[in-house]
Amino acid sequence: MKGKKIEKKGLIEALRRFLKDDFSLVLAFVKKDGFFRTRIFRRELEDISLVNPVFHMNTSVILRRIFTQDLKMIAILRPCETRAYVELKKLAQIESHIICGSVDCFGTVPSRIEPLSFPEEVRELKEVLDKSEDLRNACRACSFKSGKYGDFGIRFDSKFNWWFVPYTEMGKALSNLIDGEESELPEELKKGEEGKRLNFKSSLDELRSDLERCVMCLNCRDMCPVCYCVDCLFNKEEYVPKGDALMNLALSSEGIEVPKGKEIYHMIRMYHVSQTCVGCGGCEEACPQNVPLLKYFKGVSDRISGVFNYVPGRSFDEKIPYTTFEEDELSDAED
Amino acid sequence: MEENVKIIGFACSYCAYKASEMAGSLRLKYPEGVTIIQVPCSSRVDPALIIKALLEGADGVFVAGCHPGECHFIKGNYFTRRRIYALKEMLDIFSMKGKLRLFWISASEARKFVEKIKEMHKHLRESKR
Repeated sequence: MKGKKIEKKGLIEALRRFLKDDFSLVLAFVKKDGFFRTRIFRRELEDISLVNPVFHMNTSVILRRIFTQDLKMIAILRPCETRAYVELKKLAQIESHIICGSVDCFGTVPSRIEPLSFPEEVRELKEVLDKSEDLRNACRACSFKSGKYGDFGIRFDSKFNWWFVPYTEMGKALSNLIDGEESELPEELKKGEEGKRLNFKSSLDELRSDLERCVMCLNCRDMCPVCYCVDCLFNKEEYVPKGDALMNLALSSEGIEVPKGKEIYHMIRMYHVSQTCVGCGGCEEACPQNVPLLKYFKGVSDRISGVFNYVPGRSFDEKIPYTTFEEDELSDAED
Repeated sequence: MEENVKIIGFACSYCAYKASEMAGSLRLKYPEGVTIIQVPCSSRVDPALIIKALLEGADGVFVAGCHPGECHFIKGNYFTRRRIYALKEMLDIFSMKGKLRLFWISASEARKFVEKIKEMHKHLRESKR
C-alpha cells in the first residue's frame, strides 16, 4: 500500500486547489478563539484543524442531512465519524459525490468543558490526551482510533510524520492534487487497529434504574449518525402514547408511570442500530440527563455484530448482516 | 391455581397459520392464553413488535415461519432467521432469552405446532413460578 508523506501546509494547498472550482465544498474542523467548530468552506479555506480533541456531535449527521446536488464535497473527520459515513453510504443515505476521510484520533473530551487549551503539536497533543481525566467514555472504550476507514486517511506514523493514504478511487483523485511522490507506507500503518469485542452482560433491572432519569426527549435518536429513518416508530403514537392513547392507557389500568415506554424505546433503538453502531458516544453527549447510554449501545452492538463477525465501518464491500443472508448458516436458530 | 401465561405468536399465513387452522380441524388443543397473529411472512415481524410485546406484559413470544428454503416469497425466512438470532443474542444480555422462540413449521405440521406451543407454555409457566 502506498501513500504520500505530507506536511499540513501541503494538504491545505491541495484543498485550496480543489476549492478553485466554484461547485466544490470542504467540510472540516477549525479552531477559532480557542473553540473547535465545524465549518463547510467554499472558495476560500482558512487554517483548518485536522485533529479535533473536542467532541460535540458526530458530524456524519450533517453529511447525511446535506443535499449536495452533484456538488463535490470533501469531508475530513474523525475515525468514528468516518465509519458512520461508510455505514450510511452502504445504506444509500449519503450521496456519492461526498467523499470522506479520517484523521487518526487520540481520544476526545466532551464539549461541555470547553474552552481548554490544547497544544498544536500532534506529539504533545497525544501526551496531553493520554493523561487527560476528562476523556469521554466512548474514547476510553474505543479501539478504532487509527485504521483504514473511508475514502482516504491522514495517518501518523510512530515518529509523528503525516501520511496521506488513499483507499478508494475517489481518494486517489484527491491524492493527485497533493504535491509529492508516492512512497511505500511504514509497517505500522499498513494494518489498522483490530477492534476488541466486549462480552457485555446486564439486566433489565439495571437498565430500568439507569433510565430512571430519561425524559424521552429523543435527542439520542436525533444525534445518532446511523439512526436515520424519516418515518421513525417513535414519531407515532403506538410506541410513545400521547393524547387519547395515553388517557386510555391510564384509564384501562391502575394508573401508569410517565413518561411511558422508556425501556421499549431504548431497547428497540439498541436493536435497530445494533449492526451499524460505531460506538461514537454521540447519544451520550446529546443526553441532557447524563444517562449512561453508551455502555448499552456499544455492548449490544459488540455482541450482535460478533455473531456475524461484522465490524461497522470496516469496508465498503462488506454487506450489513441484516440486508443479506447465507442459505446454510445458524442451524441452531430454531427452538 | 393455574397461573396465567400470556404468549403472543406471530404465524406466517402460508405455513404456521395454516398449521394452526389444521390443528383446529383435528381438534388438537393448545393452552389458553396463546394469541396468534397472522402475518404475511415471518420476515414481516419487526423485532420492535417483539420487544414491545415482551415489555408490555407478554410472558413469551414466538415467531413461526416456513422451513428455510420453503418461503412463499423465496427468501423471507432467511432474513427472519438472522434477525431473530440477533434479537435472542440481545435478549440474552438482559436475561430474557428464554422468552423468545423461533419455530419452523410447514402447513401440514399441526401436531408439531401444538407440541411446540405446549412445551413453550410449560417452560414459561415453570419459570414464572
